[in-house]
Amino acid sequence: MTSIAQPAPRRLDAFAVASEPGNERLAISRVAETASSAGISAGRLERLKTAVAEATMNAIEHGNKNQAEIPVDVEIIQTGDEITVAISDQGGAPTQDPAADTEEPDLVKKLAGAQRPRGWGLFLIRNMVDAMEVTIDGQRHTVWLTMRTSAPEGAEHDEQV
Amino acid sequence: MTSRCDATTRTMPGAAVIELTGEVDGTAADVLTAAYQAAVTGTDVGVVVLDFASVVYINSTGIALIVSILARARAERRKVVASGLSAHYREIFDITRLSDFIELFPDLDHAVSQLTGPAA
Repeated sequence: MTSIAQPAPRRLDAFAVASEPGNERLAISRVAETASSAGISAGRLERLKTAVAEATMNAIEHGNKNQAEIPVDVEIIQTGDEITVAISDQGGAPTQDPAADTEEPDLVKKLAGAQRPRGWGLFLIRNMVDAMEVTIDGQRHTVWLTMRTSAPEGAEHDEQV
Repeated sequence: MTSRCDATTRTMPGAAVIELTGEVDGTAADVLTAAYQAAVTGTDVGVVVLDFASVVYINSTGIALIVSILARARAERRKVVASGLSAHYREIFDITRLSDFIELFPDLDHAVSQLTGPAA
């Protein structure tokens, strides 16, 4: 019986940004540079950038409560043709905020005033990447975003820029 | 926080165009609201064109602002159309279903010619 070796994960980059609004742009820029060097297609890069932006904004605002001295850690790992971006804050397990959106965003409801206009962040993340996972280790809350560098055969709309 | 978004507004018979530049995020709220107000005040505007050709970034808060503008326009019985979105942001308009309510044009010329007819 022949076994196929799985490619070993390789860390491409790791950095931190201060938890200040707008710093998601620093994360986008650095992830884009690294992912481009790893050969990700243009369309997939745009999707990854949007997911990284939203996850970093959530980490800054909801995880670290905009406390600049608490960093958001970003790690970029390549495993074969997959790139994983891990975005960590120190918010621990999310608490149930009464004002938080718990249901899937629904534009019809939003236009009717039955949902507030905001609440698109997680929805965008889930729809942009191939896989999203959340882990919690004590206070460390990490969102793992995984994206293949190119689309599977037959996938539609994947190489748009 | 300082807005990274600018807007210029112009009107034509029956329609107003808001040309956006820069980044549509939470800091764009005042700019976008003021531009919409300027576009529809004192004129008989049935259609508002949002032109995104010079927009380089839209995030989830920006999407929420666009939803708010759309809700207000619909309440005022105005139509909203959009032009100049990149393929990536067209996809986001599709998955959020904004494109079910906002007709998308490849660029401003197409939008204007469609709205005003070939003689415009």
